[in-house]
Amino acid sequence: MQYNVVVIGSGPGGYVAAIRCAQLGFKTAIIEKYNTLGGTCLNVGCIPSKALLDSSEHFHNAGHTFKEHGIEISAPHVNIGQMIKRKGDVVKANVDGIAFLMKKNKIDVHTGVGSFVDKNTIKVTATDGKETTIATEKVIIATGSKPTPLPFAAFDKKRIISSTEALELKEVPKHFIVIGGGVIGMELGSVYARLGSKVTVVEFLDSLIPTMDGTLGKELLKVAKKLGMEVFLGHKVTAVTNTGNDVVVKAEPKNGGAALEFKGDYCLVSIGRRPYTDALGLDKVGIETVKGQIPVDDHLKTKVDNIWAIGDVVRGAMLAHKAEEEGVYVAEQLAGQKPHVNYNLIPGVVYTWPEVASVGSTEEQLKQDGRAYKVGNFPYKALGRARASMDTDGLVKILADKQTDEILGVHIIGARAADMIAAGVTAMEFRASAEDVARMSHAHPTYMEAVKEACLAATANRPIHL
Amino acid sequence: MALQVKVPTVGESIAEVTIANWLKKDGDVVQLDEVIAELESDKATFELTAQSAGVLKIVKPQGSTVPIGEVICVIEANGQVVAPAATTPTVSTAAQTPKATGGVKEMKVPAVGESITEVTISTWLKKDGDFVNLDDVIAEVESDKATFELPAEASGILRIVAKEKETLPIGGLICRIEITEGAPVAQPKTAAPAVTSTSTDKTYAAGHPSPAAAKILDEKGIAANQVQGSGVGGRITKDDAQKAQAPVSKPAESKSATPASAPVISAGGGRNKRTEKMTSLRKTIAKRLVSVKNETAMLTTFNEVDMKPVMDLRSKYKDKFKEKYGVGLGFMSFFTKAVCVALKEFPAVNAQINGDEIIYHDYCDVSIAVSTPRGLVVPVIRNAESLSFDQIENEVIRLATRGRDGKLSIDEMQGGTFSITNGGVFGSMLSTPIINPPQSAILGMHNIVERPVAKNGEVVIRPVMYLALSYDHRIVDGRESVSFLVRVKELLEDPGRLILGV
Repeated sequence: MQYNVVVIGSGPGGYVAAIRCAQLGFKTAIIEKYNTLGGTCLNVGCIPSKALLDSSEHFHNAGHTFKEHGIEISAPHVNIGQMIKRKGDVVKANVDGIAFLMKKNKIDVHTGVGSFVDKNTIKVTATDGKETTIATEKVIIATGSKPTPLPFAAFDKKRIISSTEALELKEVPKHFIVIGGGVIGMELGSVYARLGSKVTVVEFLDSLIPTMDGTLGKELLKVAKKLGMEVFLGHKVTAVTNTGNDVVVKAEPKNGGAALEFKGDYCLVSIGRRPYTDALGLDKVGIETVKGQIPVDDHLKTKVDNIWAIGDVVRGAMLAHKAEEEGVYVAEQLAGQKPHVNYNLIPGVVYTWPEVASVGSTEEQLKQDGRAYKVGNFPYKALGRARASMDTDGLVKILADKQTDEILGVHIIGARAADMIAAGVTAMEFRASAEDVARMSHAHPTYMEAVKEACLAATANRPIHL
Repeated sequence: MALQVKVPTVGESIAEVTIANWLKKDGDVVQLDEVIAELESDKATFELTAQSAGVLKIVKPQGSTVPIGEVICVIEANGQVVAPAATTPTVSTAAQTPKATGGVKEMKVPAVGESITEVTISTWLKKDGDFVNLDDVIAEVESDKATFELPAEASGILRIVAKEKETLPIGGLICRIEITEGAPVAQPKTAAPAVTSTSTDKTYAAGHPSPAAAKILDEKGIAANQVQGSGVGGRITKDDAQKAQAPVSKPAESKSATPASAPVISAGGGRNKRTEKMTSLRKTIAKRLVSVKNETAMLTTFNEVDMKPVMDLRSKYKDKFKEKYGVGLGFMSFFTKAVCVALKEFPAVNAQINGDEIIYHDYCDVSIAVSTPRGLVVPVIRNAESLSFDQIENEVIRLATRGRDGKLSIDEMQGGTFSITNGGVFGSMLSTPIINPPQSAILGMHNIVERPVAKNGEVVIRPVMYLALSYDHRIVDGRESVSFLVRVKELLEDPGRLILGV
């Protein structure tokens, strides 16, 4: 088979790239190792974790807020089997949707492990060992990433688990130990905390979600503690041992102090993800990875002039929507267009409840850059909509240039933050000032009013409802 | 009240115009400054604007030829008709703050002179959004002949339409002035709080393209700073990007310009090209030179002048001359005087063709070519035949200085009857100058070089200048042109003849 473009990997980067290529008239194929399309995001990442987050949220509300709402029920019980099955149905509906989109766009799907024979030839090895060779003019590598294991404790997938296994548990853990207080750890930690597990989070750095604005980490810590999670910041894990029915985690404060030992039934290692390029045969085309990543130029081209790479295998944030943008970017470039990816305005989101979302510069970055800025905060507590839904935790923080009032960062922790951040991206793509947003009508009562109020606060410290 | 509209004086030597087109019908209501007709002279087409508002009564029909000064229409100011359509502001209240009247004055490129069809905005002296008073100079505009200042035609807020370096045809829209009543109260800048920071004025975000606009501009190869954003605060919208015109020629892309396989000629030599827009002056020069070559029967006759007598005279009296007149005694005055004497004797050289007629001049308006940073300009020494040496020298210096400063008016450059060009200042030995139309001849001066010359059977070394006279053979015969040049030679080789006229 001769193709214009072959995409290796069908995650959100790969399948979006393939669809865009097909839209632009390229004869396109996609290679996927697993039997279902969609990659980590759809199968063992974003979508299933959100499914469980929502389920756990409902359970938590049934037990904690229904009464306040005036709904009397007997104490709810978790049917973990049903919860995991529903999650599976959600995943299936989504991956089937991708399969349909491939068909609709006349994209050939090759199932098996794709590896380079040379820069224009790719061998696909199916699980039964059958090999197919396909020829192509151009290749887009979108093989994504895998969870990073601890150097001293490999995933045994029974007690020492990654996010993949954490989405398939057959029981509600009694004590769920999370190593790494980043996005994945906090999301899954909060799932099990709400389902009734005791959750302990051990983080090496001094803040949760440390790459985001410090205010968000602090707020999230408050919320996590309210939920009963135990958080140890600034602690270094020294040993993780599977003792059969239990797992023992040893940690010590990195600045010195008494060592701690936790005993739980599951230990989630969520210390990050590493680019996945195994079995890709990069050596056949002369590409060498750097820290696991495939080096690319500003146009996402590798050192081989017909091979591009996108998503988690290249530099930048490991986010599905970043990979999607890159997929579209490369496809359009192949068609001779000149698209852009504004990396500064890729939003970051954490699906805890309340959600955390942010775009643009953090206050720490602005300080470091020595930029003159102003801050506008507005708490959900002061928001009518939030009181109505009892989602009063959280705040909106707007950072704006001190002279021009241009919005430099939008940071939200609170209900619906993940949806609200899109407004921040829009405003910043058009380089709106805080006052611009403050002067736009925001429907009442909505959570978005908090953004408007925070913008008023940033403009000239004149929020209306504070 | 009825206003008689007469054919305006549209340029020297234009005696009549033809009504090419009535843009308004008899009985139409016309507004002040509205274009009502297109008039055509033998040199240009121009627009006739209403000098008042009212009802138009056409006197001369379309196609008729009307002498300058004759009435072609009448505008009857009928209060009842005019009132509802009145757009001119009424300054009735002495307001402290400017009050928008809703009126907008559209400023168009004025007809600045015959044969000028376009101008270039050289500099905006006021910024977009500035408050301007009536008659404030808001921009400097350059035509192929002169630079002139553009005064505001109304008081109000300036909205710039044409960017700097943009070339506009006569009648093209330069800017709008949103008419306000009264002047703004002097406001310290700090008094404007952050509250106004998001008005439609230019902001930090001016020129920022939207995501879609950025992609489109990149694909067109247009930099964002070459596009005027119409979005809030000067942002570049998708529509702006779609309408943006790619630059006429892209600068050479340095990346792709050197393919890897290119033979290495020199290690360090750059091979960049530079592309610039032709100025309207340069375009006009180009157009006119080609048309002279095509439309005249031009040829050149040569002679040589022994410059010793002039040089002797000059070195003898130059100090005294300078002392008395405050100006140096140069060669231009000798040549100008000699040319004037010769022109009197050979009037065809001083004449010009006008259609089926020949116009003879009993005066000598001598155009002198002046090299300026913007190109060649040709200001005129009026009635050079009646000027003294010092007057000529003064005039040459005055015109040259104004030329170099770009301050020559169109009047100062129009209407010469004969030209002198001096390629000698750049070292030219001999050249064939091109006639400056509608003139019929041009004298080319060259450098003075010591050459062996035979005098009375002996070889002597003399300072010699070659002279060239290019002339239009259609009206100047060979006998006249050659005799003219010989006459100039005689006068210069024996300057005493200039005094006696022999």
